[in-house]
Amino acid sequence: MGRSGRKQNNIPLMIIVAIASWLIPGGGYFILKEHTRAAIILVTILLTFAVGLYIGTIGVINPVDAKPWYVAQLMNSPFVAILGGITSSGQWTVYGRPAEIGQIYTSISGILNLLCILKAIQSASVPYTARAGGQSL
Amino acid sequence: MTFSVIAAFTRVLDMPTNALSLLWLFPLALAGVVVYKALTIRKLNAVVFLREVFALLAFLIGLLIIITVILFVITWIAT
Repeated sequence: MGRSGRKQNNIPLMIIVAIASWLIPGGGYFILKEHTRAAIILVTILLTFAVGLYIGTIGVINPVDAKPWYVAQLMNSPFVAILGGITSSGQWTVYGRPAEIGQIYTSISGILNLLCILKAIQSASVPYTARAGGQSL
Repeated sequence: MTFSVIAAFTRVLDMPTNALSLLWLFPLALAGVVVYKALTIRKLNAVVFLREVFALLAFLIGLLIIITVILFVITWIAT
């Protein structure tokens, strides 16, 4: 279906956009042909997440002792669960200020990605010509 | 090269517990502002985007500095 012919509340498209946004930050906007927006989101979310890991190591992803933080971290991408599987052995335990700052960075990037997912779903629910001035970004 | 990159993510950054460590707030604020503006600006344009990001970041940091000063004064008076 052409862009201008996209119908309102296209449920399959909304689901695809939601899944793509979660798999790769900005992926939903990439599907919606908003490449600039997708690139900004991808770089910002990945950089924030990477800085969090750099500060506190992969030990900040702790599905055993820090479940609420882990839920927020999972919003970055389901691939975070792989890191969670590695760190759940307890080998990467990290304490102190680096752990706090690393957890805050990785969790905030996850929450920001959740915001991007919801906004991308909303963008997918309206016809292309009704948003963004009808032009490719 | 690959191993040195991976090793950088397995060694905790040396970060003392002092007031300077609070400066790590600023990159996080920048990330939040960039994502927020990327989602809210309808037609993305480099100049408009950078101007909007700078304006919101300046407002946010200014607000945080004002709150910090107020809290510092309250603490100073109370103690």
